[in-house]
Amino acid sequence: MKKVITGDHAVAIGAKLCRVEVVPAYPITPQTLIIEHIADFVNDGELDAKFLTMESEHSVMSAAAAASAAGARVFTATSSQGLAFMHEMLYATAPLRLPIVMPDASRTLGGPPGIWCEYNDSMGARDSGWLQLYVEDNQEALDMVIQSFRIAEDKRVLLPVMPCLDGFVLTHTVEPVDVPQQEEIDSFLPPYEPDIILDTARPAMIGTFMPPEYIMEMRRQTAGAVESSKEVIQEINSKFAKKFGRDYGGLIDTYRMDDAEIALITMGTVTSTSREVVDELRQKGEKVGLIKLRFFRPFPSRELKKAVSKLSALGVFDRSISYHGGGQVYNEVRSALFGMTIPVINHLAGLGGRDVTKEQIMKMFELTRKAAKGEKVNEINWHDTRGETV
Amino acid sequence: MAAQTLAEAAVNEGNYAVAFPFFGAERRGAPVLAFTRIDSKKIFSKTQVYNPDCVVVLDDSLLDTIDVVSGLKPEGIAVINSKERPEDIDLGKIINTATVNAISIALEILKAPITNTAILGAFAKATGVVKIESLEESIKRKFGEKLGEKTGERNALAARTAYEKTIIGKSRGIKKLEARKQWLPTYQEMPVGGSLIEGKTDAGLIGPGSFIENKVSGWATYRPLRDREKCVMCLLCWFYCPEGTIHRISNRGDLMTNYDYCKGCGVCANECPVDAIKMVRARV
Ligand code: SF4
Ligand code: SF4
Repeated sequence: MKKVITGDHAVAIGAKLCRVEVVPAYPITPQTLIIEHIADFVNDGELDAKFLTMESEHSVMSAAAAASAAGARVFTATSSQGLAFMHEMLYATAPLRLPIVMPDASRTLGGPPGIWCEYNDSMGARDSGWLQLYVEDNQEALDMVIQSFRIAEDKRVLLPVMPCLDGFVLTHTVEPVDVPQQEEIDSFLPPYEPDIILDTARPAMIGTFMPPEYIMEMRRQTAGAVESSKEVIQEINSKFAKKFGRDYGGLIDTYRMDDAEIALITMGTVTSTSREVVDELRQKGEKVGLIKLRFFRPFPSRELKKAVSKLSALGVFDRSISYHGGGQVYNEVRSALFGMTIPVINHLAGLGGRDVTKEQIMKMFELTRKAAKGEKVNEINWHDTRGETV
Repeated sequence: MAAQTLAEAAVNEGNYAVAFPFFGAERRGAPVLAFTRIDSKKIFSKTQVYNPDCVVVLDDSLLDTIDVVSGLKPEGIAVINSKERPEDIDLGKIINTATVNAISIALEILKAPITNTAILGAFAKATGVVKIESLEESIKRKFGEKLGEKTGERNALAARTAYEKTIIGKSRGIKKLEARKQWLPTYQEMPVGGSLIEGKTDAGLIGPGSFIENKVSGWATYRPLRDREKCVMCLLCWFYCPEGTIHRISNRGDLMTNYDYCKGCGVCANECPVDAIKMVRARV
């Protein structure tokens, strides 16, 4: 059934279709619509879930952890300062292997305070053990909530998942979304059946204090789960594609890469705009392509290496900075491609929610092209930033 | 604090020294480790000490459960707080041993079972690594700063008394102590997320209820004795006991202390509003 809805609405419908059982919530722009829709579903009897209004995001994640440890399918959503506020509890959930799904409405993390799209909120959580993915439209937002639960609850993974959708650019933008039928989702996503839960009939200890004799093994176990999520993500992508006809490519997606000489790596909605830019440049005869980084955790090093193997230069888009030069994606890509000799340059754009225009993306390709030709270009390029000439 | 005081005394003699504690998972009263390294030049190593020249044991009840001299160098010496003589102590091997009844010295001079300064005196006697005068000096300063001049001096006196009363000899080596068993799963064997249900391993119970095996009474120097006549059943002791050792016997309106799990911390006696609980020596 086609519906014209916002990204937040799509996410909420996704959660409803997954029959989530516990939703601890705290509002924050631009995520608020998600939990408002969920509250409506619960109120109207469309969703049989426990909806908990908490006093802070820290409590939200604490409640989410506890509910998940008690065996419930748990959903919540947050953004920016809210994600920062629950930072401590993010670290408590992943190693305990609690498969919570929590979309992040990407928003700049102040200061300076702002409400528009930037990835510096979720990037701060990259070492927490949460899987993290970035979507480019409202359809993908809905579909990835569903896939996220299947990935999270897979026995080979058992990790929390954070699908990120661009604040306002998706959260508050309406576009057509194909909403799956409940029966279709029911047959795609089986109920969550954990092995050990908090249950007085069968006492368990979850999240207990551990001395040095155990924590190395815990870390290694979590690292192993993140690693094995790669194959699970690909597998579930294929199963989803088969059932619903929408193939997102898994860890990465590529666009017109077959004979591409240069390419951009993008995330989120900039990918969407970049598709049109690639088409325009292709029409002019330029051999350009696009790599969409879908998952940032796990980081698809092997897939990227393969995707760029025939390129003569690569540009990497970042919507946040790591304050030592480039963005986080750039740094990850560079280390993934270590040993390869093609020029890789960084394009910083859209921080604080500044609109990323086609002109900027054109410029990214232009600079990447220059690098391919061996011309001198900056390693880090600030696009549409006053005081800078790129 | 003993390890730190020793380090300070060694430094005052012109050496270089480092001292550091290692805390286990248990709470106050649980066995802890502390290490001191002394050298004539700067020490760079930041690891724990595995093969010491001297092992100091403040609580001889540990000798029943832990092979305290397993890492001790053959020519090293064990310094033990005990009322026994070295030749009456079985360490599982014949090795240089010094003993001193630090607890009775501490009780006499400090009026408290705090043995760490007295044992330092024994250490000085047994090893000669620091002079007793240097120890006295740094004890006076360190303890004096924190707890007042009088306490500093009393602690120095405890060290001096222990120094004089220390007996040096050789231990016996008859009993065989089995290495302490510990459940050490590989990362694959580790239950997912570290979540445990009741379970049994070669090293004992794991998961909920496993603490039942961990009898903490061995740590106790004192144990609480409750005077039923005085007790007004306010339940403050029951509420405050950090070990959950005090039980209500509902049908009799009475309390019972399970001494297997009482670590002798004295919190109950301290909290009792009518002084119904006295702490008495658990062992001498
Ligand atoms: S001394 Fe008192 S408070 Fe401390 S463990 Fe024993 S019963 Fe509990
Ligand atoms: S605190 Fe004292 S008076 Fe109160 S119950 Fe315990 S022993 Fe009795």
